[in-house]
Amino acid sequence: MATKLREVDVVVVGLGWTGGILGKELAEAGLKVIALERGGMRTSDKDYALPGIRDELRYVIRHDLMQNTARDTLTIRNNPSQEALPMRRLGSFLPGEGVGGSGVHWSGHTWRWTDMEFKVRSLYEERYGKNFIPADMTIRDWGITYAELEPYYDKFEYTAGVSGRAGNLRGEIKPGGNPFEAPRQREYPLPPLTTLLAGEMFAAAARESGYHPFPRPSANTSRAYTNPDGARFGACQYCGYCQRFGCEANAKGSPHMTVIPFALRNSNFELRTHSWVTKVIKDSDGKRVTGVAYTNVLNGEEFEQPAGLVLLCAYAINNVHLMLLSQIGKPYDPVTETGVIGRNYCYQTGTGATLFFEGRHFNPFMSAGGSITTIDDFNINWEFDRAPHGFVGGYNVSAGFNSALPIGYRPVPAGTPQWGKAWKAATARWYQAAMTIGASGSVMANRYNYYDLDPTYRNAFGQPLMRMTFDYKENEHRMGRHAAQLINNLASSMNPTKLNPAVARTQPWTVVPYQSTHNTGGTVMGSNPREAAVNKYLQSWDCHNLFVIGANVFPHNASYNPTGPVGALAYWTADAIKNRYLRNPGPLVQA
Amino acid sequence: MNARTAGAGALLCATALVAAAVSTALADGDAARGEKRFEECAACHSVERGSNGIGPSLHGVFGRKAGAIPEFRYSPALRRSGITWTRESLDSYIADPQKAVPANRMPYAGMLGAADRADLIAYLERATK
Repeated sequence: MATKLREVDVVVVGLGWTGGILGKELAEAGLKVIALERGGMRTSDKDYALPGIRDELRYVIRHDLMQNTARDTLTIRNNPSQEALPMRRLGSFLPGEGVGGSGVHWSGHTWRWTDMEFKVRSLYEERYGKNFIPADMTIRDWGITYAELEPYYDKFEYTAGVSGRAGNLRGEIKPGGNPFEAPRQREYPLPPLTTLLAGEMFAAAARESGYHPFPRPSANTSRAYTNPDGARFGACQYCGYCQRFGCEANAKGSPHMTVIPFALRNSNFELRTHSWVTKVIKDSDGKRVTGVAYTNVLNGEEFEQPAGLVLLCAYAINNVHLMLLSQIGKPYDPVTETGVIGRNYCYQTGTGATLFFEGRHFNPFMSAGGSITTIDDFNINWEFDRAPHGFVGGYNVSAGFNSALPIGYRPVPAGTPQWGKAWKAATARWYQAAMTIGASGSVMANRYNYYDLDPTYRNAFGQPLMRMTFDYKENEHRMGRHAAQLINNLASSMNPTKLNPAVARTQPWTVVPYQSTHNTGGTVMGSNPREAAVNKYLQSWDCHNLFVIGANVFPHNASYNPTGPVGALAYWTADAIKNRYLRNPGPLVQA
Repeated sequence: MNARTAGAGALLCATALVAAAVSTALADGDAARGEKRFEECAACHSVERGSNGIGPSLHGVFGRKAGAIPEFRYSPALRRSGITWTRESLDSYIADPQKAVPANRMPYAGMLGAADRADLIAYLERATK
């Protein structure tokens, strides 16, 4: 029998970037906020300090900061005709757990997604005609504009301590920045990270080919920084242990050292760790939610936490799972193409080449999470004509290093034996002399890529696992072929001693190896409740006092990392709640 | 072992010489400017008593032996360094931490400007009392 607790104003489910931002903002607005985090407390000094943090076996191979698949996982299949099987070990994507969530182990790449994403269907239809978009590609406009989000991108960049160089300052194209970015009102809070040799060589080749290299914007502080809230950052030391690690120098913008400590200092805010939310509770009329049910995972005790507002701020996948488990919104059915919860699940695609230069020393172990040089000429450059290549979306191309670690990073030329004396010799010979060029590509929504509840398998709480049905479609294969050719042309122009060329992936997606923790969609935003789970303020179309925040609201996935718009949308939603919802509780948009 | 001991002795002598050479610059430190320089340290270090973060509290650092706060987990290198924190020893440590105490764990590459270090130390003298 669950213990019913006293009602609070707001319950936040999951304490990472979005929960931290909303928890802090709403507690400061005077609301009583309870945050329920299923993992434990984690702080820089106790958990990420030297020497313990530099442990590739613990953090990369054994996933120390990630979710535990023995307690809950997903079942996976490529298409509806297959039987889905449980993912018993994390692989392709690595959702975080514990205070700070995935915002602890991310690399820091912070992009501003533009109207090329937010108006994807109307822009492509206008330029290429309705028939250019395949019938099963369920992309649609997001119902929000870049201009609306710009101040919130700015706020997130200054909170997270992003290093970068503006390419478009209030409409003026600035040398050395990304000329294709949408106009920003002011510079990044910090100058760009130091460019690595691999980035310099890539930039020279890219310029030679007429492209526009720039330093990737990233929340690795290029020098010491104090953010507007007063959170203090050290300078990035290029230690090489970024992705999948907490930062040993407080130099990576992370919720546990920015927004969360400020929330915790506020007497309106309370954190309960090891608290696993199993369900959002609907009111009898179905138009509101009344709180959440959760279990203390240390002792199995069950609670009901009533709240005036429920904010789902867990990892994108878990937010969708909770909506399905709570039966809020109609589950998506790909056969009839009706329902909303679970639709438009998207991922990312990519390819890459490894270049070997006899006699070069790249020092790959010395890097920041974002010490990467990038081109967007085939991404958010609308001048790039997609018609001859027949794909929707784009890809960014980059070179540099991020966490090239001793166990996992052993580049050898193709044809080298995979073990033994010859492999050792090749590793010793090429470790310092190799660099990579990689492409990260968008994935457009497809009718048959979606989530629902698995009919067979259950988690530790006896609830159905979420089932993920996903595969790349012809659109992604076409983009992959274009990207591979582009990379190989650039790589050849650099005259490497040896080259492992990029190959477009056309095999079905699998859950191994690691690819990207950029899972999007499932409770998408939009102006039509028949196609979207939430409105432009991330408010549930079904229950007006429920907000669902995270990359789960993206109707499709871009080539960019998602954290920029995730952070911006969290601030955007906080403002909508503070300035509009509290004054007049109810739907913020009329259907 | 003998050679190693001799080497360490030579290093100490060199450190002492460097310290002597910069001690006049230290006298000119501006604590107000140094407070700004302290931003480079503040993500890990506090000047409040007992407030350890990623780095140990700097309260009362002058005259203290390196590695002396019992509840902070120092690197073996720093604990064995034999350093007592003075203006001079702090100056050479902050200038190049890995050179001054090889294998210490402070994730900081060093403050290059002698005048910046003098300002910082002037601030620390005031703030850590």
